[in-house]
Amino acid sequence: MEVVSESHESVFRLDNLTVNFPGQSGPVPSPLQGLNLDIRANEITTILGASGCGKSTLLRTLGGFVLPEDTGGVLYKKQFLTGPTTDIVMIFQENNLYPWLTVKGNVGFGLRFRKNAPKDLNKSVADMLSNVGLADAARAYPHQLSGGMRQRTAIARALITRPQVLLLDEPFSALDISLKRRMHSLIHKLQDETDISMVMVTHDVEEAITVGDRVLVLGGNPAGVLVDADARGPEMRDRYSKEYLNLQKEIEEVIF
Amino acid sequence: MSTAAWDKAAPWVVGGISVACVIAAWEIAGVAELPVTTVLPPPSQFMAMVIESDFRIGLGSQSATLWESLTATFVRVFGGMLLAFVAAIITGAAISLSRFTTWCISPFLYLLAPIAPIAWIPTAIVVFGINNATAIFIVFMGVYFILTIGTLAEIRRVPAEYGTVAGNLGASRWQQWLFVVMPAILPGVFTLLRTNFIAAWMAVLVAEMVGLRDGLGAIIMMGRNLFNNELIMFGMLVIGVSGFIVDRSLALIGNRVLWWRV
Repeated sequence: MEVVSESHESVFRLDNLTVNFPGQSGPVPSPLQGLNLDIRANEITTILGASGCGKSTLLRTLGGFVLPEDTGGVLYKKQFLTGPTTDIVMIFQENNLYPWLTVKGNVGFGLRFRKNAPKDLNKSVADMLSNVGLADAARAYPHQLSGGMRQRTAIARALITRPQVLLLDEPFSALDISLKRRMHSLIHKLQDETDISMVMVTHDVEEAITVGDRVLVLGGNPAGVLVDADARGPEMRDRYSKEYLNLQKEIEEVIF
Repeated sequence: MSTAAWDKAAPWVVGGISVACVIAAWEIAGVAELPVTTVLPPPSQFMAMVIESDFRIGLGSQSATLWESLTATFVRVFGGMLLAFVAAIITGAAISLSRFTTWCISPFLYLLAPIAPIAWIPTAIVVFGINNATAIFIVFMGVYFILTIGTLAEIRRVPAEYGTVAGNLGASRWQQWLFVVMPAILPGVFTLLRTNFIAAWMAVLVAEMVGLRDGLGAIIMMGRNLFNNELIMFGMLVIGVSGFIVDRSLALIGNRVLWWRV
Protein backbone atom coordinates (compact mmCIF):
# COMPACT_ATOMS: atom_id res chain seq x y z
CA MET A 1 0.00 0.00 0.00
CA GLU A 2 1.21 3.46 -0.83
CA VAL A 3 1.90 5.67 2.19
CA VAL A 4 0.85 9.29 1.83
CA SER A 5 1.09 12.17 4.30
CA GLU A 6 -2.24 12.97 5.95
CA SER A 7 -3.65 15.78 8.02
CA HIS A 8 -3.35 14.98 11.75
CA GLU A 9 -7.01 15.63 12.46
CA SER A 10 -8.44 13.66 9.57
CA VAL A 11 -9.87 10.21 9.92
CA PHE A 12 -10.43 10.05 6.16
CA ARG A 13 -8.83 11.99 3.38
CA LEU A 14 -10.45 11.72 -0.02
CA ASP A 15 -7.75 12.20 -2.58
CA ASN A 16 -9.05 12.67 -6.13
CA LEU A 17 -11.76 10.09 -5.40
CA THR A 18 -13.37 8.69 -8.53
CA VAL A 19 -15.93 5.90 -8.43
CA ASN A 20 -17.29 4.14 -11.50
CA PHE A 21 -19.65 1.18 -11.50
CA PRO A 22 -19.20 -1.81 -13.78
CA GLY A 23 -21.69 -1.84 -16.65
CA GLN A 24 -22.36 -4.17 -19.57
CA SER A 25 -20.90 -1.72 -22.08
CA GLY A 26 -18.10 -0.29 -19.98
CA PRO A 27 -17.86 1.56 -16.67
CA VAL A 28 -20.83 3.69 -15.58
CA PRO A 29 -19.59 6.87 -13.90
CA SER A 30 -20.97 7.82 -10.48
CA PRO A 31 -21.20 11.52 -9.49
CA LEU A 32 -17.97 11.03 -7.55
CA GLN A 33 -15.31 12.13 -10.03
CA GLY A 34 -12.11 13.53 -8.57
CA LEU A 35 -13.56 14.49 -5.18
CA ASN A 36 -11.15 15.89 -2.57
CA LEU A 37 -12.26 16.16 1.05
CA ASP A 38 -11.04 15.71 4.60
CA ILE A 39 -13.30 14.08 7.20
CA ARG A 40 -12.18 14.94 10.68
CA ALA A 41 -11.60 12.43 13.45
CA ASN A 42 -13.54 12.13 16.73
CA GLU A 43 -16.58 14.04 15.59
CA ILE A 44 -19.88 13.37 13.86
CA THR A 45 -19.94 14.35 10.20
CA THR A 46 -23.34 14.33 8.53
CA ILE A 47 -23.65 14.25 4.75
CA LEU A 48 -26.73 15.63 3.03
CA GLY A 49 -27.66 15.84 -0.60
CA ALA A 50 -30.39 15.24 -3.12
CA SER A 51 -31.10 11.67 -4.28
CA GLY A 52 -28.46 10.40 -6.66
CA CYS A 53 -25.81 12.92 -5.59
CA GLY A 54 -23.45 10.12 -4.59
CA LYS A 55 -23.66 10.38 -0.80
CA SER A 56 -24.44 6.70 -0.21
CA THR A 57 -21.74 5.72 -2.70
CA LEU A 58 -19.36 7.95 -0.79
CA LEU A 59 -20.28 6.25 2.49
CA ARG A 60 -19.80 2.79 1.00
CA THR A 61 -16.45 3.88 -0.38
CA LEU A 62 -15.42 5.09 3.09
CA GLY A 63 -16.32 1.63 4.39
CA GLY A 64 -14.25 -0.06 1.72
CA PHE A 65 -17.32 -1.75 0.24
CA VAL A 66 -16.95 0.12 -3.06
CA LEU A 67 -13.50 0.40 -4.54
CA PRO A 68 -12.59 3.62 -6.35
CA GLU A 69 -10.55 4.03 -9.52
CA ASP A 70 -6.84 3.85 -8.83
CA THR A 71 -6.31 7.48 -9.83
CA GLY A 72 -6.96 8.32 -6.18
CA GLY A 73 -8.87 6.95 -3.26
CA VAL A 74 -9.73 7.10 0.41
CA LEU A 75 -6.87 7.50 2.82
CA TYR A 76 -7.46 5.95 6.21
CA LYS A 77 -4.58 5.91 8.70
CA LYS A 78 -2.29 7.21 5.93
CA GLN A 79 -3.04 4.27 3.66
CA PHE A 80 -5.42 3.86 0.78
CA LEU A 81 -8.38 1.68 1.70
CA THR A 82 -8.44 -1.46 -0.38
CA GLY A 83 -11.46 -3.15 1.17
CA PRO A 84 -13.58 -3.35 4.32
CA THR A 85 -11.78 -3.35 7.65
CA THR A 86 -13.02 -4.16 11.13
CA ASP A 87 -11.88 -0.67 12.22
CA ILE A 88 -14.69 0.86 10.18
CA VAL A 89 -18.16 -0.53 10.84
CA MET A 90 -21.23 0.38 8.84
CA ILE A 91 -24.87 0.40 9.90
CA PHE A 92 -27.38 0.05 7.11
CA GLN A 93 -30.91 1.40 6.82
CA GLU A 94 -32.35 -2.11 7.01
CA ASN A 95 -31.43 -5.81 7.12
CA ASN A 96 -28.93 -5.11 9.87
CA LEU A 97 -30.08 -7.76 12.29
CA TYR A 98 -30.16 -11.51 11.98
CA PRO A 99 -33.74 -12.69 12.59
CA TRP A 100 -32.69 -16.03 14.10
CA LEU A 101 -30.68 -14.38 16.87
CA THR A 102 -32.00 -12.61 19.95
CA VAL A 103 -30.98 -9.03 20.71
CA LYS A 104 -28.24 -10.43 22.93
CA GLY A 105 -27.10 -12.81 20.19
CA ASN A 106 -27.06 -10.05 17.60
CA VAL A 107 -25.09 -7.67 19.82
CA GLY A 108 -22.50 -10.32 20.70
CA PHE A 109 -22.33 -11.62 17.13
CA GLY A 110 -19.17 -9.78 16.06
CA LEU A 111 -17.19 -10.63 19.20
CA ARG A 112 -16.74 -14.27 18.22
CA PHE A 113 -14.60 -13.18 15.29
CA ARG A 114 -12.36 -10.88 17.33
CA LYS A 115 -9.04 -12.14 18.63
CA ASN A 116 -8.97 -9.41 21.28
CA ALA A 117 -12.58 -9.96 22.36
CA PRO A 118 -13.27 -9.32 26.06
CA LYS A 119 -13.02 -12.43 28.24
CA ASP A 120 -16.44 -12.07 29.77
CA LEU A 121 -18.59 -11.78 26.65
CA ASN A 122 -21.86 -11.95 28.57
CA LYS A 123 -20.89 -9.01 30.76
CA SER A 124 -19.70 -6.97 27.77
CA VAL A 125 -22.97 -7.60 25.96
CA ALA A 126 -25.03 -6.82 29.07
CA ASP A 127 -23.11 -3.56 29.63
CA MET A 128 -23.59 -2.52 26.01
CA LEU A 129 -27.29 -3.37 26.11
CA SER A 130 -27.85 -1.22 29.17
CA ASN A 131 -25.84 1.55 27.52
CA VAL A 132 -28.30 1.67 24.63
CA GLY A 133 -31.34 1.06 26.87
CA LEU A 134 -32.06 -2.48 25.71
CA ALA A 135 -31.29 -4.46 28.87
CA ASP A 136 -34.92 -5.57 29.18
CA ALA A 137 -35.09 -6.69 25.55
CA ALA A 138 -32.03 -8.98 25.61
CA ARG A 139 -34.05 -12.12 24.93
CA ALA A 140 -36.34 -10.61 22.30
CA TYR A 141 -36.02 -11.41 18.59
CA PRO A 142 -35.76 -8.65 15.96
CA HIS A 143 -39.36 -9.11 14.75
CA GLN A 144 -40.53 -8.36 18.29
CA LEU A 145 -38.74 -4.99 18.38
CA SER A 146 -39.76 -1.51 17.27
CA GLY A 147 -37.77 0.20 14.51
CA GLY A 148 -35.86 2.26 17.06
CA MET A 149 -34.97 -0.78 19.14
CA ARG A 150 -33.73 -2.57 16.03
CA GLN A 151 -31.43 0.30 15.13
CA ARG A 152 -30.22 0.58 18.72
CA THR A 153 -29.37 -3.12 18.58
CA ALA A 154 -27.44 -2.57 15.34
CA ILE A 155 -25.56 0.35 16.89
CA ALA A 156 -24.78 -1.69 20.01
CA ARG A 157 -23.50 -4.55 17.87
CA ALA A 158 -21.22 -2.19 16.00
CA LEU A 159 -19.92 -0.37 19.07
CA ILE A 160 -19.21 -3.48 21.13
CA THR A 161 -16.41 -4.36 18.71
CA ARG A 162 -14.81 -0.96 19.47
CA PRO A 163 -14.43 0.33 15.92
CA GLN A 164 -12.51 3.51 15.11
CA VAL A 165 -15.21 4.75 12.76
CA LEU A 166 -18.95 4.23 12.61
CA LEU A 167 -20.67 4.78 9.26
CA LEU A 168 -24.44 5.22 9.29
CA ASP A 169 -26.45 5.00 6.07
CA GLU A 170 -29.77 6.78 6.70
CA PRO A 171 -30.21 4.68 9.85
CA PHE A 172 -33.27 6.47 11.20
CA SER A 173 -35.17 7.22 8.01
CA ALA A 174 -37.89 4.67 8.79
CA LEU A 175 -38.52 5.97 12.32
CA ASP A 176 -41.16 8.43 13.48
CA ILE A 177 -40.08 11.89 14.58
CA SER A 178 -40.08 11.29 18.34
CA LEU A 179 -38.12 8.07 18.02
CA LYS A 180 -35.72 9.80 15.66
CA ARG A 181 -35.00 12.50 18.20
CA ARG A 182 -34.37 9.94 20.92
CA MET A 183 -31.96 8.17 18.60
CA HIS A 184 -30.18 11.47 17.92
CA SER A 185 -29.63 11.93 21.66
CA LEU A 186 -28.34 8.39 21.90
CA ILE A 187 -25.86 8.99 19.07
CA HIS A 188 -24.55 12.10 20.87
CA LYS A 189 -24.27 10.22 24.15
CA LEU A 190 -22.40 7.31 22.55
CA GLN A 191 -20.06 9.64 20.67
CA ASP A 192 -19.29 11.57 23.87
CA GLU A 193 -18.54 8.31 25.70
CA THR A 194 -16.47 6.61 23.01
CA ASP A 195 -15.05 9.59 21.10
CA ILE A 196 -15.16 7.56 17.88
CA SER A 197 -15.53 9.20 14.48
CA MET A 198 -18.97 8.92 12.95
CA VAL A 199 -20.12 9.67 9.41
CA MET A 200 -23.85 9.68 8.79
CA VAL A 201 -25.68 10.04 5.49
CA THR A 202 -29.20 11.42 5.72
CA HIS A 203 -31.95 13.06 3.66
CA ASP A 204 -33.22 14.96 6.66
CA VAL A 205 -31.85 18.50 7.07
CA GLU A 206 -32.96 18.73 10.70
CA GLU A 207 -31.25 15.44 11.50
CA ALA A 208 -28.06 16.50 9.76
CA ILE A 209 -27.81 19.74 11.77
CA THR A 210 -28.90 18.46 15.18
CA VAL A 211 -26.75 15.32 15.02
CA GLY A 212 -23.68 16.53 13.14
CA ASP A 213 -20.68 18.40 14.49
CA ARG A 214 -20.01 19.17 10.86
CA VAL A 215 -22.55 19.19 8.04
CA LEU A 216 -21.51 18.57 4.46
CA VAL A 217 -23.89 19.07 1.55
CA LEU A 218 -22.95 17.19 -1.60
CA GLY A 219 -24.30 18.19 -4.98
CA GLY A 220 -23.58 18.76 -8.64
CA ASN A 221 -22.21 16.41 -11.22
CA PRO A 222 -19.38 15.75 -10.72
CA ALA A 223 -20.22 16.00 -7.05
CA GLY A 224 -18.67 18.71 -4.95
CA VAL A 225 -19.15 19.99 -1.42
CA LEU A 226 -21.74 22.79 -1.69
CA VAL A 227 -21.94 23.52 2.02
CA ASP A 228 -19.38 22.72 4.71
CA ALA A 229 -20.75 24.01 8.00
CA ASP A 230 -19.66 23.74 11.61
CA ALA A 231 -22.70 22.56 13.53
CA ARG A 232 -21.18 22.24 17.00
CA GLY A 233 -22.64 23.79 20.09
CA PRO A 234 -25.94 23.81 21.96
CA GLU A 235 -27.47 26.43 19.65
CA MET A 236 -27.35 23.92 16.78
CA ARG A 237 -29.27 21.38 18.88
CA ASP A 238 -32.05 23.93 19.40
CA ARG A 239 -34.29 23.84 16.34
CA TYR A 240 -35.64 27.31 17.10
CA SER A 241 -32.29 29.07 17.56
CA LYS A 242 -31.21 31.71 15.07
CA GLU A 243 -28.01 29.81 14.22
CA TYR A 244 -29.90 26.60 13.53
CA LEU A 245 -32.50 28.32 11.36
CA ASN A 246 -29.84 30.22 9.40
CA LEU A 247 -27.96 27.01 8.62
CA GLN A 248 -31.18 25.20 7.75
CA LYS A 249 -32.08 28.01 5.33
CA GLU A 250 -28.63 27.96 3.76
CA ILE A 251 -28.76 24.20 3.23
CA GLU A 252 -32.31 24.18 1.89
CA GLU A 253 -31.52 26.91 -0.61
CA VAL A 254 -28.68 24.79 -1.94
CA ILE A 255 -30.53 21.49 -2.01
CA PHE A 256 -34.01 22.48 -3.17
CA MET B 1 -66.15 -21.66 21.59
CA SER B 2 -64.41 -18.35 20.85
CA THR B 3 -63.82 -17.24 17.26
CA ALA B 4 -60.07 -17.69 17.60
CA ALA B 5 -60.44 -21.19 19.03
CA TRP B 6 -62.90 -22.11 16.28
CA ASP B 7 -60.56 -20.74 13.57
CA LYS B 8 -57.87 -23.03 14.96
CA ALA B 9 -60.06 -26.09 15.34
CA ALA B 10 -62.18 -25.66 12.19
CA PRO B 11 -59.83 -27.34 9.67
CA TRP B 12 -59.58 -30.41 11.91
CA VAL B 13 -63.29 -30.55 12.75
CA VAL B 14 -64.50 -30.02 9.17
CA GLY B 15 -61.76 -32.29 7.78
CA GLY B 16 -62.66 -35.00 10.32
CA ILE B 17 -66.37 -34.78 9.48
CA SER B 18 -65.55 -34.93 5.77
CA VAL B 19 -63.45 -38.10 6.22
CA ALA B 20 -66.13 -39.63 8.49
CA CYS B 21 -68.81 -39.00 5.83
CA VAL B 22 -66.74 -40.71 3.13
CA ILE B 23 -66.06 -43.70 5.41
CA ALA B 24 -69.76 -43.91 6.32
CA ALA B 25 -70.76 -43.87 2.63
CA TRP B 26 -68.10 -46.50 1.96
CA GLU B 27 -69.40 -48.73 4.74
CA ILE B 28 -73.00 -48.31 3.54
CA ALA B 29 -71.84 -49.36 0.07
CA GLY B 30 -70.24 -52.42 1.68
CA VAL B 31 -73.42 -53.37 3.55
CA ALA B 32 -75.39 -52.89 0.31
CA GLU B 33 -72.81 -55.16 -1.38
CA LEU B 34 -72.26 -52.80 -4.27
CA PRO B 35 -69.89 -54.34 -6.88
CA VAL B 36 -67.29 -51.61 -6.36
CA THR B 37 -66.65 -52.85 -2.79
CA THR B 38 -65.15 -56.05 -4.18
CA VAL B 39 -62.19 -53.98 -5.41
CA LEU B 40 -62.48 -51.38 -2.65
CA PRO B 41 -63.48 -53.31 0.48
CA PRO B 42 -64.67 -50.97 3.27
CA PRO B 43 -62.49 -50.27 6.33
CA SER B 44 -64.46 -52.57 8.65
CA GLN B 45 -63.66 -55.47 6.32
CA PHE B 46 -59.92 -54.93 5.80
CA MET B 47 -59.27 -53.78 9.37
CA ALA B 48 -60.99 -56.93 10.70
CA MET B 49 -58.70 -59.03 8.52
CA VAL B 50 -55.55 -57.30 9.77
CA ILE B 51 -56.60 -57.34 13.44
CA GLU B 52 -57.42 -61.03 13.10
CA SER B 53 -53.88 -61.71 11.84
CA ASP B 54 -52.48 -59.69 14.78
CA PHE B 55 -51.11 -57.04 12.38
CA ARG B 56 -48.75 -59.60 10.83
CA ILE B 57 -48.69 -59.37 7.07
CA GLY B 58 -47.45 -61.97 4.60
CA LEU B 59 -46.88 -65.68 4.53
CA GLY B 60 -44.40 -67.86 6.41
CA SER B 61 -40.82 -66.61 6.72
CA GLN B 62 -41.57 -63.58 4.50
CA SER B 63 -44.21 -62.25 6.85
CA ALA B 64 -43.58 -59.08 8.84
CA THR B 65 -45.44 -57.12 11.48
CA LEU B 66 -46.90 -53.75 10.58
CA TRP B 67 -44.35 -52.15 12.89
CA GLU B 68 -41.46 -53.83 11.00
CA SER B 69 -42.85 -52.66 7.67
CA LEU B 70 -43.27 -49.10 8.94
CA THR B 71 -39.76 -49.06 10.40
CA ALA B 72 -38.24 -50.39 7.17
CA THR B 73 -39.95 -47.70 5.06
CA PHE B 74 -39.21 -44.87 7.50
CA VAL B 75 -35.52 -45.80 7.78
CA ARG B 76 -35.26 -45.70 3.99
CA VAL B 77 -37.16 -42.49 3.44
CA PHE B 78 -35.57 -40.55 6.30
CA GLY B 79 -32.12 -41.96 5.57
CA GLY B 80 -32.37 -40.80 1.94
CA MET B 81 -33.83 -37.43 2.87
CA LEU B 82 -31.20 -36.77 5.53
CA LEU B 83 -28.38 -37.62 3.13
CA ALA B 84 -29.96 -35.45 0.42
CA PHE B 85 -30.40 -32.56 2.87
CA VAL B 86 -26.78 -32.67 4.02
CA ALA B 87 -25.50 -33.13 0.46
CA ALA B 88 -27.64 -30.24 -0.85
CA ILE B 89 -26.30 -27.91 1.86
CA ILE B 90 -22.70 -28.96 1.15
CA THR B 91 -23.21 -28.55 -2.61
CA GLY B 92 -24.84 -25.17 -2.06
CA ALA B 93 -21.88 -24.06 0.06
CA ALA B 94 -19.36 -25.31 -2.50
CA ILE B 95 -21.17 -23.58 -5.36
CA SER B 96 -21.70 -20.30 -3.53
CA LEU B 97 -18.10 -20.12 -2.32
CA SER B 98 -16.33 -20.95 -5.58
CA ARG B 99 -17.06 -20.06 -9.18
CA PHE B 100 -14.89 -22.96 -10.37
CA THR B 101 -17.04 -25.42 -8.38
CA THR B 102 -20.16 -23.80 -9.86
CA TRP B 103 -18.87 -24.43 -13.38
CA CYS B 104 -17.97 -28.04 -12.52
CA ILE B 105 -21.17 -29.03 -10.71
CA SER B 106 -23.94 -27.00 -12.36
CA PRO B 107 -24.15 -29.03 -15.62
CA PHE B 108 -24.65 -32.26 -13.67
CA LEU B 109 -27.31 -30.69 -11.47
CA TYR B 110 -29.44 -29.50 -14.35
CA LEU B 111 -28.84 -32.64 -16.48
CA LEU B 112 -29.71 -35.13 -13.75
CA ALA B 113 -32.54 -33.22 -12.02
CA PRO B 114 -35.21 -34.05 -14.65
CA ILE B 115 -34.60 -37.82 -14.39
CA ALA B 116 -37.39 -39.42 -12.34
CA PRO B 117 -36.08 -41.37 -9.32
CA ILE B 118 -37.84 -44.51 -10.55
CA ALA B 119 -35.54 -44.51 -13.58
CA TRP B 120 -32.60 -45.12 -11.24
CA ILE B 121 -34.05 -48.34 -9.81
CA PRO B 122 -32.48 -50.83 -12.31
CA THR B 123 -29.06 -49.18 -11.92
CA ALA B 124 -29.40 -49.07 -8.13
CA ILE B 125 -30.33 -52.77 -7.94
CA VAL B 126 -27.29 -53.68 -10.05
CA VAL B 127 -24.96 -51.49 -7.99
CA PHE B 128 -26.30 -52.02 -4.46
CA GLY B 129 -28.34 -55.21 -4.78
CA ILE B 130 -31.82 -55.62 -3.33
CA ASN B 131 -31.42 -54.01 0.08
CA ASN B 132 -31.88 -50.80 2.05
CA ALA B 133 -29.06 -49.03 0.23
CA THR B 134 -31.03 -49.24 -3.03
CA ALA B 135 -34.12 -47.64 -1.52
CA ILE B 136 -32.08 -44.95 0.25
CA PHE B 137 -30.29 -44.21 -3.02
CA ILE B 138 -33.59 -43.88 -4.90
CA VAL B 139 -34.93 -41.46 -2.26
CA PHE B 140 -31.65 -39.54 -2.36
CA MET B 141 -31.82 -39.18 -6.15
CA GLY B 142 -35.44 -38.11 -5.94
CA VAL B 143 -34.72 -35.32 -3.48
CA TYR B 144 -31.09 -34.22 -3.86
CA PHE B 145 -31.21 -32.36 -7.20
CA ILE B 146 -34.43 -30.47 -6.52
CA LEU B 147 -33.20 -29.61 -3.03
CA THR B 148 -29.83 -28.40 -4.29
CA ILE B 149 -31.39 -26.18 -6.94
CA GLY B 150 -33.76 -24.86 -4.28
CA THR B 151 -30.86 -24.32 -1.87
CA LEU B 152 -29.06 -22.21 -4.48
CA ALA B 153 -32.22 -20.12 -4.94
CA GLU B 154 -32.42 -19.68 -1.16
CA ILE B 155 -28.78 -18.57 -1.04
CA ARG B 156 -29.49 -15.95 -3.71
CA ARG B 157 -32.39 -14.65 -1.61
CA VAL B 158 -30.19 -13.90 1.43
CA PRO B 159 -29.95 -10.09 1.70
CA ALA B 160 -26.49 -8.87 0.69
CA GLU B 161 -26.32 -6.77 3.86
CA TYR B 162 -26.23 -9.92 6.02
CA GLY B 163 -22.90 -10.97 4.55
CA THR B 164 -21.58 -7.42 4.42
CA VAL B 165 -22.37 -6.86 8.10
CA ALA B 166 -20.73 -10.14 9.13
CA GLY B 167 -17.64 -9.46 7.02
CA ASN B 168 -17.47 -5.96 8.43
CA LEU B 169 -17.53 -7.39 11.95
CA GLY B 170 -14.58 -9.64 11.12
CA ALA B 171 -16.12 -12.89 9.83
CA SER B 172 -14.12 -14.74 7.18
CA ARG B 173 -15.96 -16.02 4.08
CA TRP B 174 -16.25 -19.45 5.65
CA GLN B 175 -17.55 -17.96 8.91
CA GLN B 176 -20.04 -15.86 6.96
CA TRP B 177 -21.33 -19.07 5.38
CA LEU B 178 -21.51 -20.94 8.66
CA PHE B 179 -22.98 -18.21 10.87
CA VAL B 180 -25.03 -16.18 8.39
CA VAL B 181 -25.90 -17.91 5.12
CA MET B 182 -26.54 -21.30 6.69
CA PRO B 183 -29.04 -20.14 9.35
CA ALA B 184 -30.60 -17.77 6.82
CA ILE B 185 -31.36 -20.55 4.32
CA LEU B 186 -32.20 -23.37 6.75
CA PRO B 187 -35.94 -22.61 7.11
CA GLY B 188 -36.41 -22.31 3.34
CA VAL B 189 -34.43 -25.47 2.61
CA PHE B 190 -36.36 -27.33 5.29
CA THR B 191 -39.66 -26.22 3.71
CA LEU B 192 -38.36 -27.53 0.38
CA LEU B 193 -37.44 -30.78 2.08
CA ARG B 194 -40.95 -31.03 3.45
CA THR B 195 -42.55 -30.41 0.05
CA ASN B 196 -40.21 -33.00 -1.44
CA PHE B 197 -41.15 -35.52 1.23
CA ILE B 198 -44.10 -36.62 -0.91
CA ALA B 199 -41.72 -37.28 -3.82
CA ALA B 200 -39.38 -39.20 -1.49
CA TRP B 201 -42.29 -41.14 -0.05
CA MET B 202 -43.50 -42.15 -3.51
CA ALA B 203 -39.96 -43.06 -4.60
CA VAL B 204 -39.42 -45.41 -1.66
CA LEU B 205 -42.82 -47.06 -2.12
CA VAL B 206 -42.08 -47.70 -5.79
CA ALA B 207 -38.66 -49.11 -4.85
CA GLU B 208 -40.35 -51.40 -2.33
CA MET B 209 -42.96 -52.47 -4.86
CA VAL B 210 -40.57 -53.39 -7.63
CA GLY B 211 -37.56 -54.72 -5.77
CA LEU B 212 -37.58 -54.96 -2.00
CA ARG B 213 -39.53 -57.59 -0.12
CA ASP B 214 -40.47 -55.54 2.91
CA GLY B 215 -41.81 -52.12 3.77
CA LEU B 216 -45.20 -50.49 3.14
CA GLY B 217 -44.84 -50.66 -0.65
CA ALA B 218 -44.26 -54.41 -0.40
CA ILE B 219 -47.62 -54.81 1.43
CA ILE B 220 -49.40 -53.53 -1.69
CA MET B 221 -47.42 -55.88 -3.93
CA MET B 222 -48.14 -58.80 -1.61
CA GLY B 223 -51.85 -57.96 -1.81
CA ARG B 224 -51.65 -57.89 -5.59
CA ASN B 225 -49.81 -61.22 -5.78
CA LEU B 226 -52.30 -62.87 -3.39
CA PHE B 227 -55.35 -61.21 -5.08
CA ASN B 228 -56.09 -59.83 -1.61
CA ASN B 229 -57.90 -56.49 -1.98
CA GLU B 230 -58.21 -56.12 1.80
CA LEU B 231 -54.43 -56.17 2.11
CA ILE B 232 -54.06 -53.63 -0.72
CA MET B 233 -56.55 -51.28 0.91
CA PHE B 234 -54.89 -51.68 4.32
CA GLY B 235 -51.48 -50.91 2.77
CA MET B 236 -52.89 -47.80 1.11
CA LEU B 237 -54.47 -46.66 4.38
CA VAL B 238 -51.21 -47.08 6.33
CA ILE B 239 -49.26 -45.27 3.59
CA GLY B 240 -51.73 -42.36 3.59
CA VAL B 241 -51.90 -42.01 7.37
CA SER B 242 -48.11 -42.34 7.81
CA GLY B 243 -47.45 -39.76 5.10
CA PHE B 244 -49.96 -37.39 6.67
CA ILE B 245 -48.43 -37.73 10.16
CA VAL B 246 -44.89 -37.22 8.87
CA ASP B 247 -45.92 -34.18 6.82
CA ARG B 248 -47.64 -32.60 9.85
CA SER B 249 -44.62 -33.39 12.03
CA LEU B 250 -42.26 -31.74 9.55
CA ALA B 251 -44.57 -28.72 9.34
CA LEU B 252 -44.54 -28.49 13.14
CA ILE B 253 -40.74 -28.64 13.25
CA GLY B 254 -40.57 -25.97 10.54
CA ASN B 255 -42.93 -23.67 12.43
CA ARG B 256 -41.50 -24.20 15.92
CA VAL B 257 -37.77 -24.70 15.38
CA LEU B 258 -36.99 -23.01 12.07
CA TRP B 259 -39.58 -20.25 12.37
CA TRP B 260 -37.71 -17.23 11.02
CA ARG B 261 -37.88 -15.87 7.47
CA VAL B 262 -35.32 -13.63 5.79
